[in-house]
Amino acid sequence: MNPTTSRKPLVVGLFAALFFLFLGLFMLWQRYQLLLENREDEMTGIIDLVEQNIDQSLKYSYTAALSLALQINEDGEVENFEEIAAQLVDNNPNIDGIETVPDGIIKQVYPYEQNKAAINYNILQDSTRNVEAFKAIESRKMFFAGPLELKQGGLAIVGRLPVFIENEFWGFSAVIINFENLIGQSGLEELSAKKYKFQFSKVNTVTGKEDYFLRDEIVMEESLTQEIILPDGNWKIHIIALNPYQPLYALIPVAFLILLMSGALGWIICTTMKRPAILAAKVKKQAGELAKSELQFRTIFNQAAIGMVRVDSNTGMIMETNKKFQELLGYSNAELVAKDHISISYDDDKDMNLQLMDKLRNNEIREYSLKKRLVRKDGEIIWIKLNVSALWQPGEPVCSHIALVEDISARVKAQKERKENEKRFRSLVENSSEVILIIDQTGNVKYSSPSLQRITGYKELQVVENEVFSLIHPEDVPHLIEKFKECRENPGLPFTGIKMRLQTKCVKYIWVEATITNLNNEKSIGGYVVNFRNITEKQEAELNLIKSYDFVMEQNKRLLNFAYIVSHNLRSHSSNLESILELYMDEACEQEKANYISLLTNVSKNLNESLHDLNEVVSISDNLDISVESLSVADYLDKTLEILQLQIQKKKAIIHTCIPKDMQITFNSSYLESILLNFLTNALRYSHPDRTPEIRLSGYLNNGYWILEIADNGIGIDLDTYGDKVFGLYKTFTDRKDSRGVGLFITKNQITAMGGDVTINSRPGIGTTFKVLFK
Amino acid sequence: MSKCVWVIDDDEIYQIIIKKLISRSEIFQEQSYYTNANEVFEQLEKADIFLPDAILLDINMPQMDGWQFIEKLKTIHPDLAEKTDIFIVSSSIAYSDKERADKFPEVTAFLSKPVSVEEIKNIGNSLNKKTRSRDQV
Repeated sequence: MNPTTSRKPLVVGLFAALFFLFLGLFMLWQRYQLLLENREDEMTGIIDLVEQNIDQSLKYSYTAALSLALQINEDGEVENFEEIAAQLVDNNPNIDGIETVPDGIIKQVYPYEQNKAAINYNILQDSTRNVEAFKAIESRKMFFAGPLELKQGGLAIVGRLPVFIENEFWGFSAVIINFENLIGQSGLEELSAKKYKFQFSKVNTVTGKEDYFLRDEIVMEESLTQEIILPDGNWKIHIIALNPYQPLYALIPVAFLILLMSGALGWIICTTMKRPAILAAKVKKQAGELAKSELQFRTIFNQAAIGMVRVDSNTGMIMETNKKFQELLGYSNAELVAKDHISISYDDDKDMNLQLMDKLRNNEIREYSLKKRLVRKDGEIIWIKLNVSALWQPGEPVCSHIALVEDISARVKAQKERKENEKRFRSLVENSSEVILIIDQTGNVKYSSPSLQRITGYKELQVVENEVFSLIHPEDVPHLIEKFKECRENPGLPFTGIKMRLQTKCVKYIWVEATITNLNNEKSIGGYVVNFRNITEKQEAELNLIKSYDFVMEQNKRLLNFAYIVSHNLRSHSSNLESILELYMDEACEQEKANYISLLTNVSKNLNESLHDLNEVVSISDNLDISVESLSVADYLDKTLEILQLQIQKKKAIIHTCIPKDMQITFNSSYLESILLNFLTNALRYSHPDRTPEIRLSGYLNNGYWILEIADNGIGIDLDTYGDKVFGLYKTFTDRKDSRGVGLFITKNQITAMGGDVTINSRPGIGTTFKVLFK
Repeated sequence: MSKCVWVIDDDEIYQIIIKKLISRSEIFQEQSYYTNANEVFEQLEKADIFLPDAILLDINMPQMDGWQFIEKLKTIHPDLAEKTDIFIVSSSIAYSDKERADKFPEVTAFLSKPVSVEEIKNIGNSLNKKTRSRDQV
């Protein structure tokens, strides 16, 4: 607040207060004077009354003195003094004693007893008293002396009346008035009440000083003293207000009141006067602030980091622009002003802006925001964010609006790029053959990439808790759980190459290879990231490879075995030949020699047989692309039974056949013939000698494959002893000369060459059952 | 002291040949010939016969092969290795068979067919030493 503006009302208030204070004090003073006057009047009245009383009293004394004087005869004697004196004193209450003082010597006194001490006392010779005596003689008037200390004791006033006989001073006729008595007679005590005090004073004739006679020594102050002078004795009587400041005290509360009131008045005036000043100050301040905000607005407008433009809302003409806006558009302010704001708008965005502008103009909205494009002076299109606010108050006429223009080209570009990136990334993820899952700690699938459906058939995995494992092949679950555990303990570390079988929606298992990474600590992920891809083909290829390998190994083993058998068999013949020839050479006996030749014939026959068998075996193993066709097992069985008709009859065997008509197998016809013939021949050959041979042939489907079962009640084979050799080459288990250990070997080879399998179940003495599985 | 030999082989022609060879070698006075290993055990069941000094054993035989024979005989004679010498006589020249033979302490030697009179004589000579040591015990 400006100090000069505030001082004036303060000064005025102060002056007003002082003025009222003085006025009040003046009135108070007048009142005080009045009170003083009243008191003085009262005092004067009292004094007057006292004066009268004393005067009266003295007059009585004078009368008494005169009465006594008149009794003085020519001889200067008072006859009957006692009588007269008694009469005078007793009748006059103002007198306490009476005496005759001829020639200044006290001669007669009444009452005698009290005053006898004064007799013969010459007052004219007493320098302390004679002044007044001489004065009385000189003035021939009665003069009251005293109060003085009497010879006979006591303080009293002595009135001396000079008596002249024939103009000759005779002496004095004197009256004694007790001082106390005098005061009593003056009525002072009654009049003064309790408001005043009295004092008597008399100038000491000897010392010239004023002597006071009343008990209390009172400090005299002229202003508060009313004094009277009794001419008969030069006395002064003083009246003193007991409480000299009483009138003043009476006015003190009033004075305070005045002080308070003037103060209050001054304050009221001051504040009253100040109000306009405060208002003026407020107005000034607001004006200042307005100016300041205007300045600030200007500064903001000009220096703002975003473009600002003020536009006439009615015409759409640009009114002013700031530097940033000019920079954004590449125009100068002069070029922009008076340009229609629509003219710098990009064509496609004009309509939207105009619609919003209309709404603003119609007071439907007060402001709006819009993302739109503007065309720079150089023709370049920029993206901006527009914020438009009306500059008129609702209800006021439409004037102008302000538009804030923010360049968001970079942002839009970045956004676009980000969107494209995201799209690219998304398409990478979505089209990838890899499935990405995010599984949270509790096993819920938080995210699954679209490839999930492509690969597994599940649109989304609604798996809770451990249910995710329910889709994994049971054999692979422990390994997976193990990996998850390891993963949990090693956040951020990817665990790769986890192979497992996953059940797809069509119940089929596929092989997947997964990578699990624990990203529970990553806020944006918060789970395990599992990526996996279908490796079924690869896995199957691998498995096939293993199968092929196993097959090759098996084949190799078989070939080795075959080679061994071949070498063994051929060698056994050759060694026999060698030995026989050696024996032959050394033999002298012709008969023996002929025996050796016969043996040689046998060996050669055996050798031939072995070669034939081996040839047969090799022909199966060799013939990899042997022709296959669909064959009816029943037809082939009938044919075989026809061939064996003679043997069956010879053995009296019973053949049961139960082959379905639709039992069609894809097989090589000569193999099938050979297989059936071999099994039936074996069944007949190894029949039990104690019972009628029974052979049961049945065909049925198992797991989509045809099974041919050949069961007999023959001698059986001890599988505990020979189990692994049943289908071996040159494995025979009986003493029969016709078993060469070739048939079952060839049969098995023929079946496996067609992709099938054969198993045996046999109990010695009970029978044997072969099961042939056709693929 | 007469020496005893068993020949176990399913090849009948070989049997004829080995008979001639053994008789020419003049080593073994007692000879037994089996075309089936099971026959040996049938004989053992019938009579309390002593183990021979030597057994010429074929590997590849039906019903019971040479290896099975040794195992079975061992169950009857746990001290088989000390009591007799087993000679594997096979037309096999497979190394795997020789290897397998080495694993049997009961097998003294592995001979490939054809065997000669000389070889049978050698067998007889090796037996002499062994028989002597056996006599001392």
